[in-house]
Amino acid sequence: MLIFGLVIAALLGPLYVFLNLERRSLQRYAIGSATAVAGAAITPLVMGRCGFTEGTSGVDHLLSLTLMWGAAWIALIALRSFFDRADGKAKASAAMAGEIRTGGYRMGWWVPWVLLSPTLLILVVFLYYPAFRTFTLSTKLTKLGAPRSIDVCFGNFTELLILNPAKLVAYPLIAIAVIYGARFWMNHSGPGTWSRKGADVASVVGMLAIFVAMYLMFSPGGGGQVDYRDVYVNTLIITVGIVAFGMIGGLAVAYLAFRKIRGGSAYRTLLIWPYAISPAVAGVLFFMIFDPTAGIFTHGMDVVFGIDVPNYRESAMLAQGSIILASGWKILGYNILFYLAGLQTVSTDQIEAAVIDGASSWQRFYKIVMPALSPITFFLLVTNLVYAFFEVYATVDFMTKGAPAGKTSIAIYEIIRVGVNNGDLGRGAAQSVLLFAAVIAITLWQFRTTGSKVSYGGA
Amino acid sequence: MKGLLRYFVLLAVVMLVAAACSSDDSDSGTDTTAAATETTAATETTEAAPTTTAAPATTAPPTEKIDIDFWVAFSDEARLGFSEDRAAEFNEKHPEYNVRVTSFASYNDVFDAAVLAVDSGEPPGLIHFFEAATRQALDAVDGDLNPIFKSVTDAIAGRTEILGEPVVLDSVVDAARNYYTVDGSFYSMPWNTSTTVMFNNMDMLNEAGITTPPATWAEVETACAAVMALDDAPSGCITWPNHSWFVEQTLGQQGELLGNADNGRTGRATEVFLESDGMMNYLEWWKSLNDVGYYTYTGLQRDWDGTSNAYLAGEVAMLVYSSSDTTFFDENAEFTNVASFMPSDGDTDYVGNLIGGATIWMLDGMDTATEDGALAFLNFFSNPANAAAWHQLTGYIPITQDAVDLLEAEGWYDESPNSKVASDQLAAAKNTPASLGALLGNFVSIRDVITIAIEDILVNDLDVATRMADANAEANKSLSEYELLFGG
Repeated sequence: MLIFGLVIAALLGPLYVFLNLERRSLQRYAIGSATAVAGAAITPLVMGRCGFTEGTSGVDHLLSLTLMWGAAWIALIALRSFFDRADGKAKASAAMAGEIRTGGYRMGWWVPWVLLSPTLLILVVFLYYPAFRTFTLSTKLTKLGAPRSIDVCFGNFTELLILNPAKLVAYPLIAIAVIYGARFWMNHSGPGTWSRKGADVASVVGMLAIFVAMYLMFSPGGGGQVDYRDVYVNTLIITVGIVAFGMIGGLAVAYLAFRKIRGGSAYRTLLIWPYAISPAVAGVLFFMIFDPTAGIFTHGMDVVFGIDVPNYRESAMLAQGSIILASGWKILGYNILFYLAGLQTVSTDQIEAAVIDGASSWQRFYKIVMPALSPITFFLLVTNLVYAFFEVYATVDFMTKGAPAGKTSIAIYEIIRVGVNNGDLGRGAAQSVLLFAAVIAITLWQFRTTGSKVSYGGA
Repeated sequence: MKGLLRYFVLLAVVMLVAAACSSDDSDSGTDTTAAATETTAATETTEAAPTTTAAPATTAPPTEKIDIDFWVAFSDEARLGFSEDRAAEFNEKHPEYNVRVTSFASYNDVFDAAVLAVDSGEPPGLIHFFEAATRQALDAVDGDLNPIFKSVTDAIAGRTEILGEPVVLDSVVDAARNYYTVDGSFYSMPWNTSTTVMFNNMDMLNEAGITTPPATWAEVETACAAVMALDDAPSGCITWPNHSWFVEQTLGQQGELLGNADNGRTGRATEVFLESDGMMNYLEWWKSLNDVGYYTYTGLQRDWDGTSNAYLAGEVAMLVYSSSDTTFFDENAEFTNVASFMPSDGDTDYVGNLIGGATIWMLDGMDTATEDGALAFLNFFSNPANAAAWHQLTGYIPITQDAVDLLEAEGWYDESPNSKVASDQLAAAKNTPASLGALLGNFVSIRDVITIAIEDILVNDLDVATRMADANAEANKSLSEYELLFGG
């Protein structure tokens, strides 16, 4: 199987060269092949043959091959940029580099590195080394104070996935096919036609297909597997909820607060307040409000209206809603701050022109303000997503501890529960790697799609 | 003008914050024990910001002092304060030593920090670690595969006094001694030790015509039927935290084992039994109480605060809880608060309740002078007067027989009869592996599996047997993985 992976990589190399390089020669095909094999060999060299040994499952083989080919692909990308430069394609950057060489720095190539070294040192010690350790830990079964640790290869990952390798391959391929199908349809339909409307729907379906495919790929639990499908769905609901509530709410409040009102500056200062509160305190605050025995809201509703408010921790919807409310409220001030700043950059000339042209206030908002705010929105989307993924742990811990029965256990909460509280370092690390991959994928996707629609004004 | 207004608002905010902070301070000053929750809870708090408080020494000796670090898993003023005060007294009495107390947020934090400190070559002398992790502490090794902890009995080596402090280890009450004796050796010095008791709002029970606290499950149901039939009936009748410790207690009562090899007491446990008859019996009863609305589930696992608040607020008539907060309930209940034995199944023969809490472990590798200092401190810390004071402050049982005798001589139990219930309940237990409680690897994870399953059963109305079968598979997987890592 290992040989099979390397042979495929050896064939992939020339194919990549054929598809991506303008100048092709026998020598270049050979180099491409060698590069791909070298890339594919990295993971087996580091991890050994563990993904292919006897007793491993089809899913293990699949993960091993994916890693090998992924590394081969990255190696080929590097090769391509090398050849492109050799071919004089990357003129702009070469020109810039030349400028720098003849510019201010004539003190030697090492000077920038020396100046960078404090930052690099901190990055290596506190970021790169821990990240590297996380990757190595994720392949182990280990605990603090244990006399030995056991290599489990991809075991910590495969137990999060379904057991059928064919389905694991098929689901993402189907999702990708749907996306490319929608794109193809989009490119072959005229604007304003029914066909284009269908294509619009299809592209939304395509996006959803990725999420559905991931849902199907995660294990539903049972048979020694972890019920990660549940964690995935919780994370999706709570993250989307926080980002939507935080951003729409933030924009709405900022838009209202931006208008000329008496005491506006004082008002605006106060609006930013929740941002200064830590996620743990936000959790405690909302716990105090909604707690069924000690809650202010619950007690008030009972005393004033005689309404018996249900325990928010016993219903999945209420529990998830409370987490979204508390976390969204906390990030609201941050979003308001940036939107207030953004609103000041919206051209008043354009708005005045729109008023003269008879645009309604909604039209002015939708057609002028929103596009002008798109860089801020894009920035906030990224930061809000990172917040929802990584900083909601304390809020969940104080409000629900994952209740009811794990329905508010999101990815980061699960990582800390398994890895820290239960001391299962390997599984915690594996789930961290998964979350890391998810955030990288989402960020890349955002830069590709949303990024292109962002208007920074001017040229 | 506009700018001025902004500064005014900012100033107001600052003043508000300052006011809030200062009122917080006075709150925590007057109501210290309110923060004291039970300790067997493996608290999930991860924000461990250890605060070291070097106990001040009044005399300044000419020679250099020997530092002994004592890491404590309490962060509330009452219990942390108790340890800091004892350390200060010890330092005063033994000027050549300096015992430094450092607070951590949870037992797990203490242990993780200690293991890492051993690896980095600067271990503490003593750490405070909980009963469920006894197996883990015994198994823990450093980089050279030497055990991290040293048996206190071995270190004392038959001495009856160390640096003038009488050795109290031999006087430790049986319940604690038997629990912590593994492979014939008493490894660590028990400190906070409690058991589960029931607290009864007798005003409410009397109103419903119940004159004595219910002792069996059937009596609980009868009492609850009467309480819930009251005109001003509370929202529920009984509650207790969804903590695995309570499940383990009922297994002990019914004489049911949680793990093989006699609960891990005659060998290493390699199998757990979450589908046993005793487990089904208890969980079915718990679920039925919940289904008819007698049991109030706060919706959180290990919710010591929520359940205790519900009882104090009169939202339930009965609370099964740790005896550690007996003094707190006596002082804060605005009704007649009576402690009684934890109710048991009247249909099975009673075997015994078990202890919970934590002990102080001594790290291996100290030189003789330091080790003797640490041992002297341990024995000073639990000398009769200190052990009695600790019991009176909290409700944890007096850990030595000498302390019990002292309290009896002082007439303490006549004064506060609730404080005697825990000791009496432990004395009533037959000394069997079932009533001693289990020693398991990965016990914290296994407890987590149990409480999640119970929450699932209570909230989502699942079948007990089916859900516990899943839990059993998961717990056994966790245990077998632990044995792979630590087993012989």
